[in-house]
Amino acid sequence: MSARENILSRIRAANKSAGNAGSDSARVAGRLSNPVLGPRPNLDWDPEEQFIRKSVASASTIAQTDSMENVPGLVNQYLTESGLPRSGVCWGEFSQLPWAENEIEMEFRPATGDDKVGVTGCDCAIAETGTLVLLSSPDQHATSSLLPETHIAVVRKRQILKTMEDVWGFLRERPSGLPRQVNFISGPSRTADIEMTLVYGAHGPYRVHIIIVND
Amino acid sequence: MEITSHQFKKTASLKLRDQKVQSALGKAKGKFVVARERAVKELDNLEEIRQAAADMRSHCLENLDSYLEEWEKNATAKGTVVHWAESAEELNSLVVEIAKRNNVKKIIKSKSMIGEETGLNRFVEGHGIEVKETDLGEYIIQQAGEHPSHIIAPATHKSKDDIADLFAEKHQTPRLDDIEALTREAREILRPHFLTADMGITGANFMIAETGSTVIVTNEGNGRMTTTMPRVHVAISSIEKCIPTLDDFALINRLLPRSATGQSISNYVSMTTGPKREGDRDGPEEFHVIILDVGRTRVLGSDLRDALRCIRCGACMNHCPVYQNIGGHSYGWVYPGPIGSVLTPAYKGIENALDLPNAATFCNQCGVVCPVKIPLPDLMRKLREKQFMRNLRPFAERLGLKVWATLAMQPFVYSILTRTVARIGKLIGGKKRYLRKFYLVGSEWTKQRDMAAPQGRTFREIYGERQNLSKKEDVR
Amino acid sequence: MRVGLFVTCLADLMRPSIGTSTLKLLENAGCEVIFPMTQTCCGQPAYNSGDSENAKRLAKKLISEFADVDYVVVPSGSCAGMIKEHYIKLFESDKEFLSKSEWLGARTFELTDFLVNVLRIENIESSFQGDITYHDSCAGLRELGIKEQPRKLLSKLQHVAIKEMPGAEQCCGFGGTFSIKYGDISGRLADLKCEEVEQSGADTLVLGDLGCILNIEGRLRRRGNSKTKVLHIAEVLAGENLGDETPK
Repeated sequence: MSARENILSRIRAANKSAGNAGSDSARVAGRLSNPVLGPRPNLDWDPEEQFIRKSVASASTIAQTDSMENVPGLVNQYLTESGLPRSGVCWGEFSQLPWAENEIEMEFRPATGDDKVGVTGCDCAIAETGTLVLLSSPDQHATSSLLPETHIAVVRKRQILKTMEDVWGFLRERPSGLPRQVNFISGPSRTADIEMTLVYGAHGPYRVHIIIVND
Repeated sequence: MEITSHQFKKTASLKLRDQKVQSALGKAKGKFVVARERAVKELDNLEEIRQAAADMRSHCLENLDSYLEEWEKNATAKGTVVHWAESAEELNSLVVEIAKRNNVKKIIKSKSMIGEETGLNRFVEGHGIEVKETDLGEYIIQQAGEHPSHIIAPATHKSKDDIADLFAEKHQTPRLDDIEALTREAREILRPHFLTADMGITGANFMIAETGSTVIVTNEGNGRMTTTMPRVHVAISSIEKCIPTLDDFALINRLLPRSATGQSISNYVSMTTGPKREGDRDGPEEFHVIILDVGRTRVLGSDLRDALRCIRCGACMNHCPVYQNIGGHSYGWVYPGPIGSVLTPAYKGIENALDLPNAATFCNQCGVVCPVKIPLPDLMRKLREKQFMRNLRPFAERLGLKVWATLAMQPFVYSILTRTVARIGKLIGGKKRYLRKFYLVGSEWTKQRDMAAPQGRTFREIYGERQNLSKKEDVR
Repeated sequence: MRVGLFVTCLADLMRPSIGTSTLKLLENAGCEVIFPMTQTCCGQPAYNSGDSENAKRLAKKLISEFADVDYVVVPSGSCAGMIKEHYIKLFESDKEFLSKSEWLGARTFELTDFLVNVLRIENIESSFQGDITYHDSCAGLRELGIKEQPRKLLSKLQHVAIKEMPGAEQCCGFGGTFSIKYGDISGRLADLKCEEVEQSGADTLVLGDLGCILNIEGRLRRRGNSKTKVLHIAEVLAGENLGDETPK
């Protein structure tokens, strides 16, 4: 018998001996096809306001605009004010925006270890915790929000959902199912492993700048 | 990891006197406890959520075989290679096999307590493959050649100065004095490894049956690096980590980061389902998951099974007055604190960790913060019961209990004996009414405390006299 | 109202003033107090040491001793907790005694809980005066929800001010046999509690469990503090044992 068979049969025997009837296949099937929505806390806030509040609390910075066309200008402003190089990599969906006109050298490819700035969009965002949700795909490189020291995320206001549970509906409806990785990102990387002192910029980005587009 | 729990008492006493450890523990206690309290205030229906989480975890365990099979089906459909291991050796060997088959020379590793259980790093390095821990705390203790003292903050026992000395020595760089600078240095040192490693090993906080995914919950970014950069990714998990659906994950994820570090959500939640897809420009070519059962099924079939609900948040140890003062190393194995006091004897043998379930006051500070309502004091009591039944308790203790119970079942003898002890005790206590030293029985009390002398009479006799007096008055 | 008094083995032997105070409080409130003379121990030391056989024996004895009362009042959170919360666990596979434990558990109360929530006492007259701080014993707090009750009663006393400790709910390190098995750790926890007590500025520490009293008081004295008084809440409310007299 394989390890797999041994383990599964031991589980069944253990549950029987503990007085359970053994796995209730109807209940299991039921829960899988109709997932149980658990209790959630009070969600009595405006999603955009909550998203901004929690993002700022997690040490991200925020800019807002009415039009996607303004994004490169806001990126320029942010990079200049922060003394950062005005070049980086970006997801393909923003390739048509006026980057060069706003003095930014943008390449549309995955990030390498040398890139300093990564610009991404997101698939949606979670207001409750100030979280960006990024699905990996041929056009949405996971490295862009990971390797560079600065991550700039473009979020459309309508993409801001209230809770993580609301993200699942979006994921479940995807015809190709789940991608390789779904990344939930809530601010710059951090650690408190030395004397419990919080430091930003552990192995991931040092800073996260979020541009909310209300178009 | 070898078990040294039999040295608990000695180690604990040493740690109590170690100023450095005490200072580090003091800092940690304040941060973890205060942070959790603030974070759970965001949940106006905390108790409702806790109960739902506990019920969901119990439901998982009751149907674990079905959910694991469902998970495997969905994981395999997305290209994950699933392995099952029944022993530490099997898991370690599987990892080396996968590494060798893929010509792996260097492995980067994100935190895994299961890896600690099986001694994975040492085994892999023994086969000539380099292993680099990348979680800052794990990296620090790897450099120091030590074991973690906490499941969330592995280097919590080390001071900034310890780490500054360590880095100066190991990195051959000038000694830094600033925590931020030390963190930067670790980032610079580890960065090239992220970019050049052949294989990444992570643990898994959960396996989600509905989608065949594994999830890790991290803050530093090393977990994301480890699951994305190398060409092979291996996730090691244990059977009880399987939960039914995405909604169940969202539920438990409200409690996990809040209970662990006081965050509403950890910086990164990375949900991985299979290797890179066609057209993806990054991600591993191969994704393996090894599902481990070492001791889990045995515990599942025992009266300790509620311990398997554990989601490894660390809240119990953060709030335990004993842990807060002796630290994690005293417990002698991978899991310290209250959960460690249950899992260590459960997985490694009751006779190898006799002190652990006994070194508890049953204050239940752990039980009230456990996000999945594990009745930790009850489980420790069950372990004490097992020790008692197997005659593993010291003779003096068994005798003492027997004598006490026998006397307490005989009210007349009991009343005479207690009267006598009360009088003698008061006499010995003298004018100051304190007893300074016990010999033999109870000597550990008087090492650091006095004992108030008895007041000299028992309540029973006082009450008896009062009843007699009032009877006499009635008669009159 | 027939109220059974379970005085606890520790109070009976070491500090009967807790019993006489409890008796006084209950009788002043109009209760007919029944004290079964054969009572000894609730079985907790055996239970917590894993000796469930002897724990059951002692529990059965107690259950039969208090079979004929309306309530059982205990001046100890841990013993009350044993009867209310743990007897049903001890007897979970014994139908007869499980049912008896449920019956008894429903009628058993820790003293302050009884005074506040059953008797609903409005007035308490006590000669006790001073600044006090209150230690929340673990079993009382976490098993029985004893937190507000003692404070409510203490607030009815004139000339008494409560100075809370930030760590009032932190375990004092007694834990029954823990205190004599792991003396180093226990002593440290007691020490930390003593520091909090001293920093509170109160001249008296008040609490509801004799185990904790002996532990904290013992450490205070060894530390050289002979000033801070340590009193059981029953004693404070009844105005007993406030000086040096032996109870009558």
